[in-house]
Amino acid sequence: MNDRLDPAQLRELFLLASDAEGARLLAVICSVTLVLVVLWLVRRRVLREEYTPIWMGVALALVVVTLRLDWLFALTRAIGAWTPSSVVFFLGEVFLVAICLNYAVRLSKAGVQMKNLAQELALLRAQLERLEARVGHG
Amino acid sequence: MNEAPRVLILPAFDEAERIHAVLGAVARAQTGCEIVVIDDGSRDDTAAAARSHGATVLRHPFNLGYGAALQTGYKYALARGAALLVQMDADGQHDPGEIRALIAPIEAGEFDLVVGSRFLAPSGYQMGAIRSLGRRLFTALARLAGLRVSDPTSGFQAMNRRVLEVYARDFFPADYPDVDVLLAAYRHGLRVGERPVQMTEGTRRSTLHGGLRSFYYVYKMLLSTWTAARVPSRRGSGEDSR
Repeated sequence: MNDRLDPAQLRELFLLASDAEGARLLAVICSVTLVLVVLWLVRRRVLREEYTPIWMGVALALVVVTLRLDWLFALTRAIGAWTPSSVVFFLGEVFLVAICLNYAVRLSKAGVQMKNLAQELALLRAQLERLEARVGHG
Repeated sequence: MNEAPRVLILPAFDEAERIHAVLGAVARAQTGCEIVVIDDGSRDDTAAAARSHGATVLRHPFNLGYGAALQTGYKYALARGAALLVQMDADGQHDPGEIRALIAPIEAGEFDLVVGSRFLAPSGYQMGAIRSLGRRLFTALARLAGLRVSDPTSGFQAMNRRVLEVYARDFFPADYPDVDVLLAAYRHGLRVGERPVQMTEGTRRSTLHGGLRSFYYVYKMLLSTWTAARVPSRRGSGEDSR
């Protein structure tokens, strides 16, 4: 038995082993489910339309990857990874970090807006009380 | 001729018991200011207690934080056309009898913002080791940016309208406005000074008390001080505070 394995050949084996029909089918099911869930949330008015493009984009990316697995393999080779699945996980993590940061920014903005609204409410209420007192005395 | 009003603001959260004594002391001090209590979403009768002393009450619908409560007071003063504002805590640690001493340098045109300092004169104020370390750190940071203050965490301050216009902006923190906002005022070209005051240990939860909160406070203050220090300075070269 030859115990001196060529890493390049071994890596190609890993890449070929990843080309499974089951994985393609799972990716299509995931992307279709994601689209359906997004549409359902929008229809129930739980998710606003302006937040949907990013999730539709994710679903579309999944379909594209399923149809063009050679692109994923090319990317895997380009970045020196051993398996396409690790590349998918890596990209998924990058996406999650990016979206968390995006929501943190939106949350900060919403927090400032909420604080300003509450302050405005306090000021208007004081003004109303003063006017009411003036009318009462008049 | 009508003189522009002066406003004294007291942010208060669940201070129904203590605020009677504080507002009583304020009334005796005869400051000539409109008394404004900002009830920051209290769960007790703080608002009713303040009204019973004739104070104007600005009531937040929910708790927004000490900084946001102060800023509501600034916005109120701006809307009222106030020329001068004094802020003090509602827990009795500040002496209303010293308000005149804080106001005087502003009226004289010497400063735009005056901070009441516990450390300019011997006051017997006891500060714990961690808080003392924090104070030294922030004093040093402020000094690096050109601002010389001995008590950057003091909530006893007086300011004119120019300061209010800066502090009413969105950068003002909702939680802990300390050395970062003093630095922001300084970088906006405002003259920041100090006057010695006496203080007693307050009941307001200090920003430098309490476990993890202290670490967060130091981290947050370093970040916001750095942000404030990056504001292009509108001061002349060589100009300093005090």
